[in-house]
Amino acid sequence: MTEIHLKNVRKSYGDVEVIHGIDLQVHSGEFCVFVGPSGCGKSTLLRIIAGLEDITSGDIEIDGTVVNHKGAADRGLAMVFQSYALYPHMTVYKNMAFGLENSKMPKAEIDDRVRKAAELLQITDYLNRRPKALSGGQRQRVAIGRAIVRDPKAFLFDEPLSNLDAELRVTMRKELSALHANIGGTMIYVTHDQVEAMTLADKIVVLQKGVVEQVGPPLELYNKPCNAFVAGFIGSPRMNMFQGIAVRDENGLALNVGGALVAIPDVPALQDGDKVTLGVRPEHIAVHADHSGELSASVSVTEQLGGETYLYCDAPGLPQITVHQGGQLPFQRGQALSLSFDRARMHIFDADGKAVANGLST
Amino acid sequence: MAHADDKATGIGDVLQNVVAWPIRILFKLIDYPVTAIQNVIGIRRMPWLFLLPNLAFFGMFVIIPLFMNFAYSLTGGTELFISERPYTGGEQYGFLFDCDNYADPISCREDRFWKGIFNTAVFIFFQVSFMVLFSLITALVLNREIRGRGFWRAVFFFPVLLSPVVVALIWKWILLRDGILNAFLISIGLDRILFFVSPEWAMFWAVFVSIWAHMGFYTLILLAGLQAIQPDLYEAAEMDGTSKERVFFRITLPLLWPNMLVVIVLALIKGVQVFDEVYVLTGGGPGTATQFIVQYIYNTAFTNQVQNFGLASAASMVLGVVLFVLTLTQLAATRRRDND
Repeated sequence: MTEIHLKNVRKSYGDVEVIHGIDLQVHSGEFCVFVGPSGCGKSTLLRIIAGLEDITSGDIEIDGTVVNHKGAADRGLAMVFQSYALYPHMTVYKNMAFGLENSKMPKAEIDDRVRKAAELLQITDYLNRRPKALSGGQRQRVAIGRAIVRDPKAFLFDEPLSNLDAELRVTMRKELSALHANIGGTMIYVTHDQVEAMTLADKIVVLQKGVVEQVGPPLELYNKPCNAFVAGFIGSPRMNMFQGIAVRDENGLALNVGGALVAIPDVPALQDGDKVTLGVRPEHIAVHADHSGELSASVSVTEQLGGETYLYCDAPGLPQITVHQGGQLPFQRGQALSLSFDRARMHIFDADGKAVANGLST
Repeated sequence: MAHADDKATGIGDVLQNVVAWPIRILFKLIDYPVTAIQNVIGIRRMPWLFLLPNLAFFGMFVIIPLFMNFAYSLTGGTELFISERPYTGGEQYGFLFDCDNYADPISCREDRFWKGIFNTAVFIFFQVSFMVLFSLITALVLNREIRGRGFWRAVFFFPVLLSPVVVALIWKWILLRDGILNAFLISIGLDRILFFVSPEWAMFWAVFVSIWAHMGFYTLILLAGLQAIQPDLYEAAEMDGTSKERVFFRITLPLLWPNMLVVIVLALIKGVQVFDEVYVLTGGGPGTATQFIVQYIYNTAFTNQVQNFGLASAASMVLGVVLFVLTLTQLAATRRRDND
């Protein structure tokens, strides 16, 4: 079991700093997911931990030992690459055994480890095949197997499912989750897919432009995003964001959104006239066929998925509003309706994008 | 603004029509005979029609000379026209291969032929071995993140662009009795070396100049092979704690091997065909120390006092068979590389 601790880690390429002083602790046995848009530095951070990239300043500790100057091989970590990085001229068996042969491990032990890992990953039948004779999912398993046989201190995954088709990705996601439960090692996983992050992680690290925006369990990030970026990034479809002006009167606090007044949780810090962003998740919007809602709108696009319905609605002066409802809603394109927001689950962000209220908690 | 756009479009249209009009007419003109031919021979035979010009050239300059060469190899005498030459069957081949001991050229009736083969074998052994080795080392160095990488790549490739005669002349001027190299040797207090008088030195420089002139081409093939190896594989090996030697022998070399095979076979083919550079550089001398098989054929047919076209043709056929086998090997190697 291994703890990984990053202390004020910075990384620059020439004059350009890409990682801006990251502090992070990954606990023993934790499945930690780095998530963020392309170019946010998540893969760079993973490669820094792996020892494939040097850091400009700061410390990386593995189990309390600073490993800044240790090479990738000496950190005792194993990495699964996005491209699988399997040696094409070697059989699956040789691919898995290659790293162990480097350490001059006895052949019998190598054989034992490879066969156990192959059994765990259900690739025993393919041990004599070359990677090109395997499907994408099988290659991914071999890449994971190559990591497992080394019995590493921690596993590092660099977008391992991004080359798989949607169906296989769901299957592999479940298998990875089961694998973590089975072998219980510390795992750090990089993805730009927030669904992968939500379903796999014990802890999610949201990164943007080389900075950690928020760290926490998936539902904490979902329910209590610390800023508008995290709120927008976590959750699919994205949270609806409405910019408006706070209006405080005898009835409490409201937000002038495109001319309509929407009651929002009373945040004492907000004054009349403050610029505010209101965030409402698609599933926290109620739809009314009449005008009883707070906001009048019309249906632009309807997506009926059978068990659930997505409505994309247009309202004057506002960005398109996404609504998610369970079941089958009988709305047609162009149909007028009204919307009301679940006040208890509204997110309020100040002019800098910082959350001042998540639901009724401020 | 919209008016200006309209005007531009108008001019564009006019220009397009001016350019397109003659092309359209040309296609119309071609269309009629092509349609007529297609009606006669059928659409499935049409590809042959388009291949015909190239096939005609190939036939005229390769296939017909090949058969003529074979026919000449079955004749004797000194007459130029085959109709005037007496048929001798396999006599020329028998003459070429009449040896007491094949390892000793002097024991053969046509010792110059065997000396040419022996010299070519020595040349190929050293030239191909060192060429592949130096090309590999150069490709490995140029594949690294070195300062001025583009410049160095160009430096190694430039000699390939030079004519073989120019290459040979440059080096001849350097290596002559009063050449730059001897001037340098004298300036540092050493004795002058008569490079073209010593058989060993002549062979050395023949090999050296050939490597210098062609190495860039093979380096380029190997460099392309190196760059096709996924960088992730090296990172995976690094994570696995693989030593540099093991990375080279277990990852780089096996993945580069298909390219290496192509390079080796191509270098062998070029080595067997060596002529112009060495002919200009050493003239085959001293004596016959650097006279290779192609020069033997050339001398036998054209420069000897008695021009023996039959014997030269027979030697050409032998060389042709060797090249054919090597080319088949090269094709097999390329196919294997593409499959990998």
